[in-house]
Amino acid sequence: MNIAQVIENHPASDIALVGEGESVTYGELQQRASALRTALRARGIGAGDRVLVIGENEIEFVLATIAVLGIGAHVAPIRSRNPLPEVQRKAAAIDPQLVLMAATAAWVTEHSEHVVGADFAMVAELESGPYSENRASEVLSPVYDGDLDDLAFLLLTSGVSGDAKVAMLSHGNLNWVQSLLSENEAVGLTSDDVALCILPLTHIFGLNVILLTTLRVGGTVVLEAEFSVDESLRLIGEQKVTTISGVPRVWQAFVESDAPADTFANVRQLASGAAELPGTLFAAFQERFGAELAEGYGLTETSPIVTWSRGIKTKPGSVGHPVPGVEVILVEDDGTAVEPGDAGEIVIRSPGVFKGYLDDPELTSTVLTEDGWFWTGDVGVFDADGYLYLVDRIKDIIIVSGFNVYPSEVESILLSHPKVQGAIVVGTPHARTGEAVVAHISGEATVEELEEHCRANLSRYKWPSEYRLVDELPVSATGKPLRRVLR
Amino acid sequence: MGLGGDFHFEPAPDIPGSDMLSKIIMSALRRTLDLLWDVEVTGRDNVPHHGGAIIAPNHLSFCDSMFVPSALPRRMWAIGKGEYMDDWKTKHLFPALGMIPVDRGGGEAAQAALDTAATVLDAEHLFLIYPEGTRSRSEYLHKGRTGVARLAARCDVPVVPVGHIGTLAIQPPTGVMMHINKPCTIRFGEPMAVSDFGSPDDPRVIRRFTDELMFAIAELSDQTYVHQYASKDDRPGVLAPSAPAVTKPGAPSPKVSVPKGRKVIDRSDTLRIKEPDSSNSDRIIDLRTPSAETPGIIDSKLHETTSQPN
Repeated sequence: MNIAQVIENHPASDIALVGEGESVTYGELQQRASALRTALRARGIGAGDRVLVIGENEIEFVLATIAVLGIGAHVAPIRSRNPLPEVQRKAAAIDPQLVLMAATAAWVTEHSEHVVGADFAMVAELESGPYSENRASEVLSPVYDGDLDDLAFLLLTSGVSGDAKVAMLSHGNLNWVQSLLSENEAVGLTSDDVALCILPLTHIFGLNVILLTTLRVGGTVVLEAEFSVDESLRLIGEQKVTTISGVPRVWQAFVESDAPADTFANVRQLASGAAELPGTLFAAFQERFGAELAEGYGLTETSPIVTWSRGIKTKPGSVGHPVPGVEVILVEDDGTAVEPGDAGEIVIRSPGVFKGYLDDPELTSTVLTEDGWFWTGDVGVFDADGYLYLVDRIKDIIIVSGFNVYPSEVESILLSHPKVQGAIVVGTPHARTGEAVVAHISGEATVEELEEHCRANLSRYKWPSEYRLVDELPVSATGKPLRRVLR
Repeated sequence: MGLGGDFHFEPAPDIPGSDMLSKIIMSALRRTLDLLWDVEVTGRDNVPHHGGAIIAPNHLSFCDSMFVPSALPRRMWAIGKGEYMDDWKTKHLFPALGMIPVDRGGGEAAQAALDTAATVLDAEHLFLIYPEGTRSRSEYLHKGRTGVARLAARCDVPVVPVGHIGTLAIQPPTGVMMHINKPCTIRFGEPMAVSDFGSPDDPRVIRRFTDELMFAIAELSDQTYVHQYASKDDRPGVLAPSAPAVTKPGAPSPKVSVPKGRKVIDRSDTLRIKEPDSSNSDRIIDLRTPSAETPGIIDSKLHETTSQPN
């Protein structure tokens, strides 16, 4: 089997992709992918090779991904808006046989001698070369027929600190999540669905949930190259979008815009992920558009779906129920399940759990057990109805005089001060209390104002013992604050 | 010094226990305690004079259930073991002290206890619950059970944190005798409302409230806090390994394997006191409020004896 086959068995004239003002039918997509497979094979790339695919949400990027999977090679996708040092670092972590660039990544060719890679090619170059006539050929080149355990994606999951983690996901991992989504009645995906793809296709959610699953059911994927409310509004109306997935920042932008109240009237599914959706934003969105945002939880290492709110009542603040087929247990450090209602580390077993980190069995052995349990490092708690709530990262918990302090709680209080722009809270060793809370703050607030604000809103053991006022806080490529940089 | 202050006796004919006997016994008990022990009560005004409220003390000795009720300005109730009702010595005395017998063991008993408590609170009376769930054999203050928070949310009543010091010396767990003339301090803290912490439907809110309640109690009782439930296998200064949670039949296995290469973050330092390091004290804002006595500070006993769960 090969997940590149998701584009097969659909009416040839149905629209598969919309992007950059053009549409690609399933028939065209199959032919172009076939031609690209032939060109890649002629270039000496085959099963088991690693291909760094650089692009944005663009048709060439989708084509490259599907073609590379189709010859049994592994796709390591990264964004073309990465600065050169990031591209260099990521290429070094992958050590690819080929660096394959979509149109937006053309700039990389000028630096190819400084980027690790045995060979470099533009997608357009391969499509226009000696095999270009294949683009219209009715006879398709064969798709590599591999095993479920064969690797499909090599996904970079780290931020800026240099410790690249490359998660290995197999065709079986991805296939399982796709079947779950495409066959589940509560999700109810059909070939009539039109997915607006705002999230980057270089991340597991964009790749597997939005792109590959929508193609699998024969629906249409509308690629939005760079999110803006105006562009989204245009695409939602023009393309009759039925499903949208986004991050809280996206929903916030819609709430703050002058988008009409019936913007999402024909959208069946609105999903939020990547960061906790504040209860106020959930309510504001519902009030503004009369639509509910459903939250879910997942990680690159789980392909990614772990929980969702499909087919159940949405509870603000919760990421929903574990999906069928996923075992989720909350445990103490020694693997013992916590008592009902208590918080513990989220540990997962499912057919979506990844194959480990590339070339790093040592790192893999810190999170994965031989019997298939993946220790996420996230702390969560179930309510009596089986809804999961996320608390914080286990490594970030600060213990002050024996009491647990969750940085996210302190950060949210600090951020509620009107003069605070950003806040990152970490622990530091303290002679008397074991650890103490240190707040890094950007914005205009003074230490006195911050102290007063915390004293009014937090219990004493949660008060920062030190405030560091900074101009800028470290954030990851996806905009998440990076606590580990400040620890 | 002394229990002092007014004591308001609330008749409650619908709740188990004779009003008449209770009135006599409470009055006698208050006088006896005042006479035999050096009792000091602070923060008594923090106990609401009207309406339902949960009284949440630390639990060290059997006699806590005499000293705390006697220090309150109002009559109160609590759950007690059903077997006391089989003993002629206790079957009238304990209900008169506010004990409502509930047979222990099993989920049904827990539900019955919760329903009983709700009845008392809905009738606008005080109800006492030890949030640690059992007497602390380690002498530390343990992680709180979330039942207090859930009950407070269900009945929409405040929770009064209570810290007491001295009952362990008055009645050590090894003996039945009570040693007279010893001091006992009972401190009532400011009432806390679950609704101030967020929606009680969110289990994180319930846990946050519970942790902060335990922090308030730790400040009042001067105890060292340990984020582990009290166990009957704890010994003074020594924590028993945490037992696997009891799960329903058919539920996933209560224990999963641990990744071989996993490094458990050594947080043992957080359970130890070290001499204050003057070299970095200038950059640390003192966590203590000027008036408090060093609450939250780790007892020096702990680092010699603490055993962390595996």
